[in-house]
Formats: sequence, structure tokens, C-alpha cells
Amino acid sequence: MKRLFRIFSNGIVRENPLLMLMIGLCSALAVTTATANGIGMGLAMTFVLLMSEIVISAFRKLIPDSIRIPIFIIVIAAFTTVIDYILKAYFPELSKAMGVFIPLIVVNCIIMGRVESFASKRPLLDVIPDALGMGLGYTWVLTAISVVRELLGTGTILGFQIMPESYQPILFFVLSPGGFFIFALFISLNLFIKSRLKNVEEDAA
Amino acid sequence: MKSMLKLGIILAIYATVACVGLAFVYTGTKTVIAQRQKADLEAALADLFPDGDSFEEITGALTSPDKSVTFINEYAVKKGGTNIGMAIRALGASYGGQVTVLVGAGTNGKISGIKVLENKDTPGLGANASSPTYFVDRAAGITFYGQFKGKDIQDAFEVKGDVAAITASTITSKAVSGIVKVSARSAFEWLSTATGGSK
Repeated sequence: MKRLFRIFSNGIVRENPLLMLMIGLCSALAVTTATANGIGMGLAMTFVLLMSEIVISAFRKLIPDSIRIPIFIIVIAAFTTVIDYILKAYFPELSKAMGVFIPLIVVNCIIMGRVESFASKRPLLDVIPDALGMGLGYTWVLTAISVVRELLGTGTILGFQIMPESYQPILFFVLSPGGFFIFALFISLNLFIKSRLKNVEEDAA
Repeated sequence: MKSMLKLGIILAIYATVACVGLAFVYTGTKTVIAQRQKADLEAALADLFPDGDSFEEITGALTSPDKSVTFINEYAVKKGGTNIGMAIRALGASYGGQVTVLVGAGTNGKISGIKVLENKDTPGLGANASSPTYFVDRAAGITFYGQFKGKDIQDAFEVKGDVAAITASTITSKAVSGIVKVSARSAFEWLSTATGGSK
């Protein structure tokens, strides 16, 4: 149980896919201009990651090593298309806002990376906490970045006016260079948290 | 050679299973998606022409005079049997791909309103073309698409002239204005001839 929790918590800070492993950055910078998009993208990605990891882990002994990559892509692409249809049918607003980034989940390196390095080697039981942890790690970073960018860039959060009317939005933060700045700040924040965690663990030991 | 065949068959099995699964999801969501798009369109038409009591699809009645704009559907808006306006669903190139706009023009030579239906531009920037919470004039509460309402079709439709641009999204602003201009003028021309000048 403790081991599973450790796998789960791995993705949140210690091996956060965006801030530590530095994978899946393109989508992260592109969709985080508004909070709703950040949350939506995070959840959609988590769904695809979870389903792909489960399927690939369950069939890992039936996937020949030499053609594993095409099979991973088939599985990931299938689940991405499923989520694309579901969003279009039941969450049309979200689907419109995220546009092309949903189909692009297919090439999100986090999924490919986790499937290749983790799910294809581990039993089903380990894979679920890993997918949820990595997904949560991705979602919280996306949400946090998009809150900061939306607040500074347009003065709103989830479309509600937060800043006083007199606030002149700093458009820079909605544009990509602003995204890089905020992203860098989050990387340093994560390193700080990680170093603190390490100290606590050493003290305990 | 033998292993190649074996690998090929395995790959084919995975692909087939994935395709069958997708086919089920597709048929499951297809009707909902189509219904929603239809409902969206009808709501948009009713929004542009609150007076209209029936919308007749007359797709094919018009072709775009401008190569950069494609007309997908045209709708005649009727009130008590007479045409009071026309709506065109038109497509043009924008920053992130094609943008689809529904343009309504009335027999009085004014635009009765526009709706940006599909827009693949950058979220937070070009995507603001269809956002009801993005204002080109915050004090007056005028959205980007809202500013076209009541505009004379003979206006210049010049971005940063008589059309306010979306900040940092000039390409999107220009694309939408261009589509509106071409569509509204064609629609009005059609209305003038179809109603026999009885405006």
C-alpha cells in the first residue's frame, strides 16, 4: 500500500512530468492561457494516460518488443479519439476552446514516455497509481500556470473578473513568452519543494 | 520473413480491435454531436433574426464572389412568408486554420449580427473572436463579434479602422471582418433581387 502511494506521489512533485521530467511542454504552454482550458486539458490527458497505461500493462506480454511503438500509438490514438468525441458531444464549449490540442494528446510525450518506461514493464496494480499521479501532476501544474496567466493577462479567473476594473491586463502573460516566464518560476518552486521534501526524508531516516 | 509476417499480423489485430472500438464510440456519439451542431445553428439563426419565424435552407443559391471566402450554407429568413433577411454560413482562412462565421444581413442593408461558429485560433488570443466575455469596448460591453451588429454593409470593414481588432490577433480580426464583408454584401444583393426590390 505504502509502495503504491509512493508511485502515486512520485508524479506530483518528485518526478513531476512537466517540472522535473520536462516532457509534454508544448501543449502545456499552449493551452494555459485560460484556467478552464488548463483544467480541461489536464483531465482529458489524465483519462487518456490512465486508459492507455491500463491497456498496455494488461497486454504487455502480448506486445512484441520490436513493434511496441506502433502498438502504443494505436492504443493512445484510439483513446484520444474517444475523448475527442465525448467532449464534442457532451462538453461542446470545452471542445471548442481547446480545438486542435485534443487530437494532439496523441503526440503528448508524457503518455508515450510513461507507457514506454513504466506501463510496458509493470503489473496492472502499479500502473493505475502511476497514471493518476502523473495525470494529477500534469493537471495541477497546468491549472496553476493558467490561473496565474489568466489573472495577470486578462484580470479574470475562469472568466470571472477578479482584478479591479482599473487594472490594465498585462497581455504579455497570455502570449507565449509570458508562458515561459511563469513556467520557469514554477520549475524553481518545484525544485524548492523537492529539496524540502528531501530534507524531511533524511531527518526521518 | 516469417517473423515479419507474424509481427504484421499482430499489428493488424491491434489496429482492428482499436478500429472496432472506435466505431462503437463514433456511432454512440454521432447523433448527439449532429443534434448539438444543429441546435447550435438554429439557436444562432434565431439569435441573429429575433423577428424571423422560419428559416429556409437555400444552400447553393449563392456562390462567393471572393476566392478566399467559401459559402457553406445559405438560409432565407422569413416572417409571414416574406424574406426579411439572409444568413450565410461562410468559411475563410484564419491564423490557426479555417474559421466558420454565420453572417446575417437584413433587407434594410444592415448586418443583423454575426456568430463565430468554429474557430481554431490560439486560445486566449484569436479564440476571443467568439468569446462572450472578451470586449473590444469594455465600458460599453461590446464583444468582438457584437460590434458588427447594425453595421451598414457598405462600410469599409477595415480592421483598426471601422472594425476594432482583438488585441494581438490582427490576423483573426481581419479574417472574420473579410468573411463578414463578402457574405453580407452577397446576401444583400440576393435579398434585393429575390424580394424584387420590395424593401
